[in-house]
Amino acid sequence: MDKKNKKDLGRWGEDLAASIVSRMGYEILMRNVTFRGGELDIVALDGDELVILEVRVRTKGKVQSPTESVGPRKVKRLLRAGSLLVERLEWDGPWRLDVMGITLGGDVAKGYECEYIKDITLGMI
Amino acid sequence: MNRIYGLTLRGIDALPVEVEVCVTGGLFSISIVGLADTAVKEARERVRIALGTLGIKLKGHIAVNLAPADLPKEGALLDLPMAVGIAREAGFIPKDVSGIFMGELALDGRLRKVKGGVPAAFLSREMGLPLFIPRGNAQEASMVQGVEVYSCSNIAELFSHLRGESRLKKLDFSLPEAKVVEVEPDFADIKGHVAAKRGMEIAAAGHHNLALIGAPGSGKTMLAKALRGILPPLSDEELIEVMRIRSARGASIEVERARPFRPVHHTASVVALCGGGSDLRPGEISLAHRGVLFLDEITEFRRDVLEALRQPLEDGCITVSRAAGSVVYPASVLLVTASNPCPCGYLGDSARNCTCSPGDIERYSRKLSGPILDRIDLRLQIPRLTPDELLELDGTGESSFEIRQRVIKARELQIERWSSFGVKCNAELSENMIKKHLGLSKNGRAFLKSLGAAFKLTGRGFSRVLKVARTIADLAGDKTVDEPHLAEALAYRGGFFFER
Repeated sequence: MDKKNKKDLGRWGEDLAASIVSRMGYEILMRNVTFRGGELDIVALDGDELVILEVRVRTKGKVQSPTESVGPRKVKRLLRAGSLLVERLEWDGPWRLDVMGITLGGDVAKGYECEYIKDITLGMI
Repeated sequence: MNRIYGLTLRGIDALPVEVEVCVTGGLFSISIVGLADTAVKEARERVRIALGTLGIKLKGHIAVNLAPADLPKEGALLDLPMAVGIAREAGFIPKDVSGIFMGELALDGRLRKVKGGVPAAFLSREMGLPLFIPRGNAQEASMVQGVEVYSCSNIAELFSHLRGESRLKKLDFSLPEAKVVEVEPDFADIKGHVAAKRGMEIAAAGHHNLALIGAPGSGKTMLAKALRGILPPLSDEELIEVMRIRSARGASIEVERARPFRPVHHTASVVALCGGGSDLRPGEISLAHRGVLFLDEITEFRRDVLEALRQPLEDGCITVSRAAGSVVYPASVLLVTASNPCPCGYLGDSARNCTCSPGDIERYSRKLSGPILDRIDLRLQIPRLTPDELLELDGTGESSFEIRQRVIKARELQIERWSSFGVKCNAELSENMIKKHLGLSKNGRAFLKSLGAAFKLTGRGFSRVLKVARTIADLAGDKTVDEPHLAEALAYRGGFFFER
C-alpha cells in the first residue's frame, strides 16, 4: 500500500467512525483538529460529556489489532492534545478519550469490523 | 446540612470521618485526600466498579475529601461512605441523604463485613445519626441499645432504601441469653485436687489472681482451663465491653456469656501481651478483659514481658502509646499463672527427687519479681495424685455448675457491700477499705496478730490474707471475717516457692 492509499484509508475510516457515532446520537463538533503535538480525529458531544475520538484503521492480517496500536505514548499525546483543546474551547464539563478500531477484511467489498472502546483512561489515572 | 459520615477506628472507639465530594469537569478520575492509607486509596476502583453494577457511570473529576484532614484513616470500611457520597453528588440518590456508613465493597456490589461494628454503633448513638452496615456486622451492632441501625447485603439494597423505593428493616436491640456455655473440662471430670479446687473457687468468687505451682503433669493447666467454667457469666455491661474490644480488633464475634480465656505462650512479646504495633492493636491482656489471662510456665516468660503486666494488673486498663498516638484499652483480668517449683520440676514431689542444686532453685524462684508476686493473692500447690486417686473411676467431685452457683452468690454479696465504694470484688479493695470496712472480728484480729510474726507477713502480705479471708467468709455467707477464714487464707500463701 503506498502512501496516498494509506492516507485515503485513514480518511475513509474517520468518515465511517463519524457516521457511526452520529447515529449513536453524538453531536460532531470538529474533525481533524491539529495541534503542535498531534491531531485529534473527531471531537463530539455525548450528552453533557465531550468525547475525543481516535480512529484507527488496519487491514486484516496485521498482527496487532487497531485498538491495540494505541500505546501509552499515543495515549499521553492524546491527553496532552485533549487538554489543550479543552482549554481552547473553555470547556469546563467532563470529557473522555475514546478509541474506535476498524479492521478491513482484505478489501472494502468484504466489509469491516468495528471495535469501539469508551473512556480508555478509565482506571489509568 | 445533610452530611455523610464514615468512620475510622482508634482503639476501641470509632471516630467520625466526614466524606465530602466535589465533581468537576475533566477526564474521569477520583482523587482521595485526607491522610488516607493504601486501602482507602484503592477504594476508588472498588467504588467505581460497584457503582457500575448499578448502571451508574461516573464522569469528570471527582474529588473526595475525608475530614478531619489530620486524622489518619485506615481500612476498607470507608468504601461505602465514599460510594454514597459520590452517588449523592452525581445525583443518583437524593440530596437529603445523611447518616453514618460503614462497609467494604466487593466488585459486584456486595458489602463485605468489616471490623468495628460495636464501636460504630456507639458512635451512631453519640451522634444521633442512623447507621448503615454490612449484613455481616448486624449481630454485633444490635447489641448496643438506642441506635437506629440498618444492615444491607449489597449496595443496590441500600440505594433503593435511600431513594425511598423500599425500606430496610431497622435492627432490633438484642443481647444473647444469659445462659453460660458449659466449659470443658468440667470440675466433676477432674480427679482429686480437692484443695486446689477449693482454692480456685475462692479465686473465682473474689476475682483473686491465682498461681498454680506443681510438678510437670500434675494438672495445673487442666485446672486453669476449668476455672473459666466456674466464673459467673458476663453481665450485660461486661458483655458489651468484651464485644467492643473483639469487634475493634476484628476477631471472631462469637457472642457468648462465658468469660474469655486467653492462654499465652511464654515466647509472647510485650506487644503481643500488652498491645501496640503501628496500628495500636490491643494485646492479649485486653482480649482477656473480664476473663482469664493464663500464663503457663510463667517462669519461662521474658522478664520485661512480665514486668509490663504490673501497671495493667493494678489499674485494670492499659495505655498503649506509640508514634501514631495513644489508646487506652480496658484490661481487667483474672491472672492465672502456672509454674514448676524448680528447674527440674520435682521439688517437694512425693514420688521423685529433685535434682536441682539450692542455687538453681534460688535463681529459679527469683525469676518472678516481687511486684508481680505481690499481685497474686492466691498461691496453690498442686500435688501429684496418688495412684488410688488417679484410678478412681466414678466422678465424685462437684460439677462446675454447682460451684458456679456458690461463686455467683458470693459475688452478689460483694457487689452489694462494695458498690458504694465503686468496687466490684474483694480483690480490688484498697488498703483503706480493708482497714475500715472488712468486718474483721475481734477473735480474727487476735489470731492474725499471733500468727503474723510466725508467717513473716509483710504489710502487703497482711492485706492479701485479709482480702482472701473476706472472700472465704463471703462464700460461707458470713458477715464477719473470723479465725477459720483467716486460717484458710493463710494456707494459700504458696509455701516455699514464695518465701523470700
